Amino acid sequence: MTKTARRTPRATLTAVDGVDAAAVLAGARRALGALPRGGISAWDASGVFQELAVAGDSAGAPSARTLLLLYAADLAFRLRWQIRPALAEGRSVVAAPYVETAVAFGRAAGLEPAWLANLFRFALRPNTRQFVHAPRTRALAVKDGFVGFSCGCISIDGGKNARRRLVERTAAELRRRDR
Amino acid sequence: MKSTPAALRRFARSRFTDATKPRGLLIAFEGPDGSGKTTQRKLFKTWLESEGYDVVTTKWNSSDLIKPLIKSRKAVRALSAEEFSLLHGADFRHRVEQVILPALWAGKVVVADRFLFTGLARDVARGLDLDWVLKLYQPLLWPDMVFYFSVTPLTSRKRVTATRVPSFYESGQDVTQVDDPVESYQRFIARVIREYESLALIFNMITVDAEQSIGEQHHLIRRLFLEGRQRPWSDWNAEAVAEWLANSPGSGR
Repeated sequence: MTKTARRTPRATLTAVDGVDAAAVLAGARRALGALPRGGISAWDASGVFQELAVAGDSAGAPSARTLLLLYAADLAFRLRWQIRPALAEGRSVVAAPYVETAVAFGRAAGLEPAWLANLFRFALRPNTRQFVHAPRTRALAVKDGFVGFSCGCISIDGGKNARRRLVERTAAELRRRDR
Repeated sequence: MKSTPAALRRFARSRFTDATKPRGLLIAFEGPDGSGKTTQRKLFKTWLESEGYDVVTTKWNSSDLIKPLIKSRKAVRALSAEEFSLLHGADFRHRVEQVILPALWAGKVVVADRFLFTGLARDVARGLDLDWVLKLYQPLLWPDMVFYFSVTPLTSRKRVTATRVPSFYESGQDVTQVDDPVESYQRFIARVIREYESLALIFNMITVDAEQSIGEQHHLIRRLFLEGRQRPWSDWNAEAVAEWLANSPGSGR
């Protein structure tokens, strides 16, 4: 009798990033379709931003830095409860969004690359990175997902135009990072 | 007004080094639970006000925006060390931007009951890397003075447990895995104090022997404040102030 080694498909972490939450989710589903066993880890699994959304105006608008610290807290939660356990069980994970969306948002808001790199130092390196680039008009209309939510509530000098510019710069930064 | 970061740093520097205007002062009270710093902070605030200072107090984990998030997660013991650290970092940053910097810009005295050193001491005691945690708090805002209230782990434990049982995270049960909160507290606070002692040396804090009487400590703090209030503004703070100016509509630019 000959023994044949049975190969188990390797569990992988795929990161899908972009400003348009709906397009990112669609991209995540497509990526998941190509994987043998797996699931999607989405933004705000910890509910931090959901709770933030109901805070009164008197609490003060958060800055980009505060929003990124919260994004990192949510990502730490996703890694602990969704991503690492799934990978340990041999299941693949599509994280949508993952680190690149947050870093692009931070760069667009003028934060230092070194601070952003340190912030996400705890995150697992994905096996594959995918970017979903939305057309400009679509990106500017984004209201949900991390970028849409953040640009809607951020403390920023310059009002509505400054918020639109922030979305545009985030989208441009993601295109640059995809090169 | 659209300004470059360098122009904003210059503007911040000019505001805080203008000898013709009262400069805001940031005084931090640091130390483990049970070190009596809150008592001293209250006495100090009352005295400052009696001397004519406009005083603003800010406490650890107290922002209206982030505190509820932390509270609900602590209640169900849902925080890992990283999440604990990042959420407290977010709370701190929000208070810096919403409470501390506006008050300093207006020339007030800000008395902080715990500052970023609390985050550093507790997070490192939870096993996180000091360098990672310190960078979370960048751009750093250095207080004009930091009073560190020094007590032994035994004193801290006796004072805290005299009136209550320490909570899950306060006693470090998330990292000690000890079921008894008092025993866990004794172990955890020893680690926290070890980190505080190192930080007090590294960051040149003013150590107050918190085993002394309340009156002795208070008079020492008054004297040291009067001696030290004319210190030059720390240029390290230009970055934090410039970022706040850039993001804050109506910040006085």
